Amino acid sequence: MTGNEQLGNANSPPPVRSFGGAAFRLPQIIVTDGCELALPTPPTLRLPVAMPAPAVTSIAPLPPRPRVQSHFFARPVALPPVAPQPAGGPEVVAEAAAKACRGADRRARVAPPKDVVKLSERFYYLLQPDLQTMLRGGKLTFPRPPFPFQFEGMAFLLPRHSAVLADEMGLGKSMQAISSIRLLVRSGEARRVLVVCPKGLVTNWARELADWAPELLVAVIDGDPGRRRWQWSLPDVPIKLANYEVLVRDRDLVAELGLAFDLVVLDEAQRIKNKSSQTNRAIVSLDRRRSWALTGTPVENSAADLVGIFEFVQPGQINDRMTPKAMAGAVTDHILRRTKDKVLTEMPPRLDRDARIELGPEQRETYRRAEEEGVLRLADMGREATIQHVFELVLRLKQICNFDTATGESAKLERLVAELEEVQASGRKALVFSQWVETLGRLRKELAFCGALEYHGGMSTTARDEAIRRFKESRDHSVLLLSYGAGAVGLNLQFSQYVFLFDRWWNPAVEDQAINRAHRIGAAGAVTVTRFLSAATIEERIDEVLRRKRDLSEAILSQADGPTTAGLTADDMFSLFELAPPRRAAA
Amino acid sequence: MDMQQQADSGLAGLSFGFLTTLESPAHGLFGGYLVVDALGRPLEFHCTAPVKVSRAQQILYGPTLQGHLHGRQVGGALLAEGKATPAVVLTDSDAMLHVRPHTRLPVALVRRGAAEQASGFAMGAAFVSPHADDAARAEEIEAQLAALAEAVDLCEPFERIRAALDEAARH
Repeated sequence: MTGNEQLGNANSPPPVRSFGGAAFRLPQIIVTDGCELALPTPPTLRLPVAMPAPAVTSIAPLPPRPRVQSHFFARPVALPPVAPQPAGGPEVVAEAAAKACRGADRRARVAPPKDVVKLSERFYYLLQPDLQTMLRGGKLTFPRPPFPFQFEGMAFLLPRHSAVLADEMGLGKSMQAISSIRLLVRSGEARRVLVVCPKGLVTNWARELADWAPELLVAVIDGDPGRRRWQWSLPDVPIKLANYEVLVRDRDLVAELGLAFDLVVLDEAQRIKNKSSQTNRAIVSLDRRRSWALTGTPVENSAADLVGIFEFVQPGQINDRMTPKAMAGAVTDHILRRTKDKVLTEMPPRLDRDARIELGPEQRETYRRAEEEGVLRLADMGREATIQHVFELVLRLKQICNFDTATGESAKLERLVAELEEVQASGRKALVFSQWVETLGRLRKELAFCGALEYHGGMSTTARDEAIRRFKESRDHSVLLLSYGAGAVGLNLQFSQYVFLFDRWWNPAVEDQAINRAHRIGAAGAVTVTRFLSAATIEERIDEVLRRKRDLSEAILSQADGPTTAGLTADDMFSLFELAPPRRAAA
Repeated sequence: MDMQQQADSGLAGLSFGFLTTLESPAHGLFGGYLVVDALGRPLEFHCTAPVKVSRAQQILYGPTLQGHLHGRQVGGALLAEGKATPAVVLTDSDAMLHVRPHTRLPVALVRRGAAEQASGFAMGAAFVSPHADDAARAEEIEAQLAALAEAVDLCEPFERIRAALDEAARH
């Protein structure tokens, strides 16, 4: 017997080898008759010989150690002890302050700004304790409990080298800035700080610094050149406080002394909105590491205002050619703006009312004659008429709306007297604003019955401070008469319940600033705002134009397209008298 | 000397460790270790590259996975990189307690609110349960933590670590 092989091919089943019976040594069968017998066809076993290798899956153990990235931070400097507050003074530790106001559980964290890209630097900010904890750890005290949004404002400022705090007036921008300065100074991150503010607010800032950062020494830069040189040179005073005019005057001196600041803070930063102004140039030339701007009206007249401010905050970040939307995108990480209606739901209400005043017969006649003559004169001038001519006519008409220049009659005054008698009788306080110092003087005489005091740029700083003190402390003075120029910014007069705008300013943002002297944090009750408008006069027409145009600031700050101006333009001025502006007339 | 006085007397140089993880669906498990001073300010931060566990590894390691992954792999690696010697390492994760055999530092679990039937002590709004190996040192740990708890809610630093790990995951 022989075996044979059958080989498969590629398409066949696995190769099979056949084996004959001999190969298997099949036992012979011996039958009983003695013959040997072999089976003619032994069984064939078919076994696969090319078995595929079994699949093996390896399960790797977890790697012994994952890769670790390490970051080490400098051990924070020890905080110096805080000088104790005067006995009996209002002192609240941060924790108590935080608990004292609504939403205190909302912790304010210092988030890294977008322009910080290194991971280790971003970790530095992310790993700091929340602001309330930092303040509590430093045992810092506050004269009044801050609101949660004010902690958030500090958390916004602290990590930023370029920041605009654009909170609506009355939300405590100066307090947020001072508290942030305090933290930077006490942590050793800032040793030389310069605060620049309008001249009329220097006293106010000095007082606020003493309230909110009592342990920090402050040098107010003023006096003759020799004294100022000495003040600028003081080495151990961390905070220097100067007004814009002094800074412009001392620009060369600051450069000569080689002064470099860790932080420069501008209050009422709209002062530098004009890029070509001396003030702007003096400010942007300062050697500084951090630049913070405080303003309630970053866009006062046009988008170009913001460009001027950013020349200081972050030069080159925005330019005049950008659309409001593009501008909004470029500044969004640098600007923080909150409005009262968003953050102060418990803020006392502000009641606005327009008082339409009907001029008396004589005053009406004087007004009619002046307008007719003025318009005729402008018409006669034709192409020679300039914006200055129109402006002069508007001013003249507005003055007649206040007081009849011929007879002295004043329908507004009659209404104001009636209102203030009620204010005085109820023991309340009122602010009255006008654009003319002369008007304030006339009002003071007429309002002697309620002890009216004046506050305007024609007075010395000492006299103005004294007026504020008397108005605040004495019940004999229930009315303060203020000019928009001097009284619209920086003053805290939240103990006043009434605001009267005796005449209107050219820009509603300035009016808002004025109103917010009273309607701000700490206001004890509702604030009533009365705008006097002489019926059927230039005042009504101006009001109508301003109402149509007051949305630009919000348009940029809320990242929406909007009109390009909020104040009166030359075209607007001509249109008040239905006159074509010069360029159109020329065409 | 009361607990507060003890805490104040040794504030300088005192540090505390906070150890936790963040699970990222896209990347895996990140570990973070923050060392702070007695006022809660950061001194050191260490974080791991993400560790991703396969389904097969989950099956292979079975119930030992979490302890191995958190305790030995992630926690052990992080503590090995620390330069400071914190008074105690706090974690908010049960699994991370498995790091204890891999370090000489005392380890304790922190939870918000009082834990019923757990051994330990309340500290502000938190409840601290030392690892069984450190139970004998509970009083010492409590005294040292008192200084930190004056400044910081003991559960708060874990939020910071997770914020940093989240940033690392996005970076």
